[in-house]
Amino acid sequence: MGRDFAVALALARKDGLAELRGRVATGTTLFFGAIVLLLFGFALGPDATRLAQAAPGLLWLAIVFAGLLAVGRLTDAETEDGALEQLALYPVSRHALYAGKAIAGFAAMLVLGAVLLPVVALLYRVDVAAAAAPLVLTLLLGAAGFAAVATCYAALTVRMRSREVLLPLLVLPVVAPLLLAAVKATTVSLAGDPFGELGAWLGLLAAFDVLMLIAGAATYRFALED
Amino acid sequence: MPPTTIYLAPPRRALEAPSAAVVHDLARLFGRSAALAGVSLEVEPGRCIAFTGPNGAGKTTLLRVLATLLRPTYGSAAVDGLDVTTHATQVRERVAFLSHATGLYGDLTARENLRFAATMLDLPAEEARDRIPEVLDAVGLHAAADRRVSVFSAGMRRRLALGRTILGRPSVVLLDEPHAALDADGMQLVARLLAGWKAVGVTTLVASHHAELLGDVADGSVDLANGLVTQITGEGVRGVVGTGATSRSPDLQPALGTEAG
Repeated sequence: MGRDFAVALALARKDGLAELRGRVATGTTLFFGAIVLLLFGFALGPDATRLAQAAPGLLWLAIVFAGLLAVGRLTDAETEDGALEQLALYPVSRHALYAGKAIAGFAAMLVLGAVLLPVVALLYRVDVAAAAAPLVLTLLLGAAGFAAVATCYAALTVRMRSREVLLPLLVLPVVAPLLLAAVKATTVSLAGDPFGELGAWLGLLAAFDVLMLIAGAATYRFALED
Repeated sequence: MPPTTIYLAPPRRALEAPSAAVVHDLARLFGRSAALAGVSLEVEPGRCIAFTGPNGAGKTTLLRVLATLLRPTYGSAAVDGLDVTTHATQVRERVAFLSHATGLYGDLTARENLRFAATMLDLPAEEARDRIPEVLDAVGLHAAADRRVSVFSAGMRRRLALGRTILGRPSVVLLDEPHAALDADGMQLVARLLAGWKAVGVTTLVASHHAELLGDVADGSVDLANGLVTQITGEGVRGVVGTGATSRSPDLQPALGTEAG
């Protein structure tokens, strides 16, 4: 277990280091997410009430779209000069490799959420500061679930020719329950949770995370091995 | 300039089985095409064996099966008595494989790439700290240790990948065209590494179009063509020349483009 943890941490740390040195997994995807939010705002028009109502859904759509790019690019980094094959050659558990890539994906999603949340507050005029704690919790659970799913599918499709199209087609239907629960949790958080629903939506997110992490760990080896 | 002599540390795990590698009636199909069509070989521990043959002979496929990257379609393959399919992790603990790709990360420095490999290879932290500078020195990259690999030439990347192979102290080294992209110094480095591995009892299986570059280090040689062994010469390796039981199997005839009969 300790060895698996060290392997996962080393892999995530390596991704973080590469990212800090100018990889584009988060840099350009952040910009993409912000542009998506801006365009959604233009499409909805200047009605402040409508913008505020749509804010939770649009925030999570922007996070999911930008997250697909970010997690996809983290996996693409492993195809550089046969790195994924080299990973498969190391005598380490496939679960640890999955955990390492999922941690890196989770970190990228958190950065996306941390940047896009204030962008939403600014563009859609919603008070995120008043609901900071439940929003952060929603973001943590949503990011974990999304990273769990996208990491696995990104690795499974990494060698496929039509990968850019295939990855969203595979990931989006699976993360639909996550999207629903995250949007609901964000909506009730921003409204001050008047009917005490927040716990149920966060519970659903947590259950989704656990299920997807188990499924991801069980299937990741197929991405590495023949 | 790399040192003229390389003193390699002995492997972390001494081989326990009487044969370093055994393949029995090994066939590997890609769709309807057979890259290996029934190869049976046995390599003695501590030997250096060259695998030669034209493109598409099956050299790379054979090494990839032994490295656990490909599963046999028919037959079996084992390293140190451990089946590559059922005991893949234990095989990976013993084997190092260097293919055409180097498996290095361009955004990390040479030293960081080796540190990452050391963690993945479960090297104790102290050993990694002491050995990484030695390895960088051995492959002639001491001065470039803290430069990002993305600025390295193909030959420098190859040297670093060879350094990673040294670092893990494997019992069996599989090299696929190790001379590719290397200059004269690099080729000498490969020759010194092969001699060094032999001196400490490491088994090396080398697929190469240029077996003459291996010089006297190679104990034996296996020629392959169309997925079958055509000739075995020298010492340290024995096997079946020509068609094996698998290649006579009706299942394999369509892949070989012949009729069962």
